[in-house]
Amino acid sequence: MDFSVLNEALASKSFNKIADICDNLMLQVAAEGVPFRDEWPFAIHLLGHIYIDDINSARFLWKSIPPAIKESQPEVVAAWKIGQKLWTRDYAGVYEAIRGFDWTQQTQVLVAAFSELYTKRMFELLQSAYSTISIQDAAQFLGMSEEDASNCKHAHLCLCREVSYYFTIFRCIA
Amino acid sequence: MNSVEGLVNQIQGLSTTASDVLSLQNLLKQADDSLHAESTRLLPFLDQLDPSKHSLGYLYFLEACTAGPVTKEQAGSYVLMIARFITSCIAEQIRLAPDKFITVCKRFKDQVLLLEEPLRGVAPMLTAIRKLQSSSEHLTALHPEFLLLCLLSRCYKAGLSILEEDVFEVDQPRDLFLFCYYGGMISIGKKWFRKALELLHNVVTAPMSTVNAIAVEAFKKYILVSLIHHGQSPTNLPKYASSVAQRNLKNLCQPYIELANSYSNGKIADIETYVEANKDKFESDNNLGLVKQAVSSMYKRNIQRLTQTYLTLSLQDIANRVQLNSPKEAEMHVLQMIKDGEIYATINQKDGMVRFLEDPEQYKTCEMIEHIDSSIQRLMTLSKKLNGVDELMSCDPLYLLKAGRERQRFDFDDFDNVPQRFNI
Repeated sequence: MDFSVLNEALASKSFNKIADICDNLMLQVAAEGVPFRDEWPFAIHLLGHIYIDDINSARFLWKSIPPAIKESQPEVVAAWKIGQKLWTRDYAGVYEAIRGFDWTQQTQVLVAAFSELYTKRMFELLQSAYSTISIQDAAQFLGMSEEDASNCKHAHLCLCREVSYYFTIFRCIA
Repeated sequence: MNSVEGLVNQIQGLSTTASDVLSLQNLLKQADDSLHAESTRLLPFLDQLDPSKHSLGYLYFLEACTAGPVTKEQAGSYVLMIARFITSCIAEQIRLAPDKFITVCKRFKDQVLLLEEPLRGVAPMLTAIRKLQSSSEHLTALHPEFLLLCLLSRCYKAGLSILEEDVFEVDQPRDLFLFCYYGGMISIGKKWFRKALELLHNVVTAPMSTVNAIAVEAFKKYILVSLIHHGQSPTNLPKYASSVAQRNLKNLCQPYIELANSYSNGKIADIETYVEANKDKFESDNNLGLVKQAVSSMYKRNIQRLTQTYLTLSLQDIANRVQLNSPKEAEMHVLQMIKDGEIYATINQKDGMVRFLEDPEQYKTCEMIEHIDSSIQRLMTLSKKLNGVDELMSCDPLYLLKAGRERQRFDFDDFDNVPQRFNI
């Protein structure tokens, strides 16, 4: 199996292309009749779908993975756990799933990129959906401690002013 | 045996120029019966033929070879052989014998399913469609087979490219019914409910002289998807639906009609009771998941209805009116709807209030203008195409005959027969 295109994409950080590359490669390899499932990088494939926020495809991929692989490759299970939290909209749980596993080197790059992207998305969501939000909830949504959240230490956060226990969220000025 | 060998030589000799291939085709048609008679001994001869050069001949041999019953062991090697043939064959040659090609591909699908590996068939089947189609608007008999493989292997994304093409030419009505039904199912799986509605609508309103099972199942899903996407179900089929459909479909989908009625009353408790009571029926139709999605979409509808009456509302009030358990649940629902773009609002956690906003779209951006422009272009192309079809139809002798019989007669000339043929 020729994973050169996939490895190139990972090396050049074109993470949004990974899902498509994996999908097409899988169809080609399956058509050859080669038994490929044991060596297939399911964790990366799942994370590729999660990165572009296509949780439906991630779900279907998970359903098609044979149980033997689910039992023998904990990284695949951990990758799905992130998807599962996204599916059930457990916004805070996503961070736990990201941090709760010791990822291999190749997967770590993708997970870190997703983590950053997810925090950014969550922040944009908070900005658009809330006029005031409790520090506690904001901290949960952004996956940081209440102290960090109240000090706005994250690179993407812009001016937020603390009003007793609540943030008033202003539009990003920068 | 001699005749088969002779045939192989002719295939090898006559596969280069187009005129040669045409004469080869005649020879092959004549030899078809004898090929089928020798089907069990044909396999070794396939090695002497190159599918990328002798596509037509290979096709005839392959079709005869695979004609009989196939065991699971044989299926493995056949599947690989057919997949390689599909990838390497010459499109112009196989288009000379489209029926044979379709037969071979359908057997390929059967064998792939026999091996319980639908994933293996997805890529080859797509290649087969591209080679068989005379244009991207041509719906072949292989389209529904491809979508079926996508469904069974859960490769919904792969079916996307086919579903986005406009269909203009159809070989067989059954192909269209199945294509739109499977396409609807794939769209539902990817949660493209608008596309699903479009496809299922096509099934339900397609011309039919008798009710068919595909249309009945499609109508059930059509009702459910309408509830999810529009918040209301179609009470009556449009006028252009066949009279057969208008008279019969509703009677055959009674539980779904009643579900839709219950939905329009807006009371979650009632609809949940109804679903629980009729769970078995929905489950045996494989629609239970979709039914549950419809029920949970009720919360969304009810919240959306509130935006029409209120400018601000407390989370507790929302929870009460929509029959949710707590203000926190209401908050999560509203947050999700804001995220999905189904509502424009901001939540004020400090005061526990939600403020409903207007749609901020001003239709002034470049993207919006491009979007409108491309829609206009598409409609103009469609209009031209329809005019072309209309002109063709008005010259069709069958149409003229029928229209002529039923036309109004005001003048002496009108009592003449409609000319059926012009001899120029």
